[in-house]
Amino acid sequence: MDAATGRAVPEERLLNLFIALTSTRARMTKQQIRSTVYGYDAGMQGGDAKADAAFERMFERDKEDLRRLGVPLQTVVDPADGGDIGYRIDASLATMEPIDVTPAEFAVLSLAVDYWRGAALGADAHQAFLKVASHVQHAATPELPFGARATGARAALGNIAEALHERRAIAFDYASSQSPPSSRVIDPWRIVMVGGTEYLVGRDHGANAPRTFRVSRILGAVRAVGEVGAFEIPAEVPLGGLTPGEIQGTATVALRPEAGHALRLAGTVVGTDGEWDLVEVPYRHLDGVRSDVLALAGAARAVAPPALVEAVTRFAGAAADATRGEVVG
Amino acid sequence: MTERSRPRVARLLGIVAYLEDNGATPFSELADHFGVSVEQVAKDIEQLWIVGRPGGFADDLIDFDYDAFDAGIAVITNTQGARQVRLAPREGVALVAALSAMVGAGAAPKAAQTALEKVVAALGEQTVTVLGTSDARAEIVRDLTDAIGRHVVVELDYVDAGDHRTSRAVEPHRIVTIDGGPYLECWCRRANDYRTLRIDRIVTAQVTDEPATTPASGSDGFTLVREYDATICLRRGGRWALEDIPGVVIEDDGELVTATMGVTNEAWLAGRLLSIAPGLISVEPLALRTEVARQALAVLATHGA
Repeated sequence: MDAATGRAVPEERLLNLFIALTSTRARMTKQQIRSTVYGYDAGMQGGDAKADAAFERMFERDKEDLRRLGVPLQTVVDPADGGDIGYRIDASLATMEPIDVTPAEFAVLSLAVDYWRGAALGADAHQAFLKVASHVQHAATPELPFGARATGARAALGNIAEALHERRAIAFDYASSQSPPSSRVIDPWRIVMVGGTEYLVGRDHGANAPRTFRVSRILGAVRAVGEVGAFEIPAEVPLGGLTPGEIQGTATVALRPEAGHALRLAGTVVGTDGEWDLVEVPYRHLDGVRSDVLALAGAARAVAPPALVEAVTRFAGAAADATRGEVVG
Repeated sequence: MTERSRPRVARLLGIVAYLEDNGATPFSELADHFGVSVEQVAKDIEQLWIVGRPGGFADDLIDFDYDAFDAGIAVITNTQGARQVRLAPREGVALVAALSAMVGAGAAPKAAQTALEKVVAALGEQTVTVLGTSDARAEIVRDLTDAIGRHVVVELDYVDAGDHRTSRAVEPHRIVTIDGGPYLECWCRRANDYRTLRIDRIVTAQVTDEPATTPASGSDGFTLVREYDATICLRRGGRWALEDIPGVVIEDDGELVTATMGVTNEAWLAGRLLSIAPGLISVEPLALRTEVARQALAVLATHGA
């Protein structure tokens, strides 16, 4: 209760609603909730339109809060009761099963909360931690010399996860690298993480084919559209474009002594060419070696294959063109 | 309201569940366990005390032992069937994605892998798949962890983002996953400052017996200094090269995108821009443009072009 107003605080009302809907024998109608669940009554009885609207707003907010907490709210229509919608919560579907974690695992879970600190999923991660903690006996937590943090907001991830769980399509605007930004409608199948970058794999309604999306390229909000349970996720979600490819070949790069340490680590020194060291580097995509050679700003020389030599000189030429006219001293 | 209601509901139900599992529990233990003050635990129990089923009679409400409460001990005598609720999809993905990032970075304690498996099993469905492996070498992570535990100096052979290979003595403090990458937070004796080093760029790590003397930095994050702001316009095919730069803002204008960011390492950023050179439209300011031109001409000279 709020000491200043004497009215129930939202969490008090929410808990009363949760207990009422789990303990009701059949269901509760909106009217029954309004008149018997403590927290809805204060100043809102009677029929005037303002009180009705205030109740509706409050009830909608509480339903959303329950949903966000993971409580499945069932609607029950009783034809004998004039077709009014009633509500109930099946306790067996709503209850958290204990997760048996060791003190070390429990400490790691708190790092997962740190990872999202300040980001859109921060509150959700904290709630998850509290729920797991409910069934973990208190113990001295080991002090871990580890930390974790995400620098991007990734607000889209939460909505994607919800829609995936409900098997609902989502709509969003997407900035592709191949085409101008466009609206997409997707059946979300799987979130894929590659080195801390999140991707969404799902069926694109427009293309009627599986597509992969980089979550950070989603512009604005992800909205759930369409019905719950509208699709099934295939047993084998296609992840082809995201798996690291096979080794395609070996490039040869000449490096100045004391340069190209990253390339040296990735490859093998096979000889020298005058003042240069010759290094053989296995590659999955030639683009990666091209970028490494370019970034060494003249301390590396592409030797083979010819396609690498051509690409390096073409890119350097393009950069010189794009910055032409500058005095270089 | 001093906090949002959902996390508090999760904690209130957590207290009920904890007391049901464990019986009489001192407020101080609940406070420690749920990460709040002892005063907040007392407020939480007072809140739960007036919650319950419709009807509002005393035996409809959640109840605690009054005498124990006065002694700072929580004993629940009637829960009204209130139980902790299962993980919501957003909560599940928050834990799984964070643990996956840590495991994928190769910079997590062993317990992260088993914790991840347990959470995934509890969720009952696979929403997240982790692909790829970290370049951080397990023996280096192990040696660094060992040195942190013993508070000793480590001699590193390190290749920085600008491809400079250096030997440096560092006092290691913490191993951190940042967006799926493995980093070491440390005091660098060479720079005489705090540094966040990428663990996958450490070539060798030699643990010494020399005691570390500098306390861990209280502040989170990079200690890089922003030199100036840059604005880069490019064809959208090259956006991949810029979108993972911390703090970058990318505006999408159809065919072209404009990226603005704080520049902390001019030579490194210029190298990045060379890798997308055919799509480069404009580079501001002049200092960055000049560095791109310098590197491009150096590459051309090396290749005899």
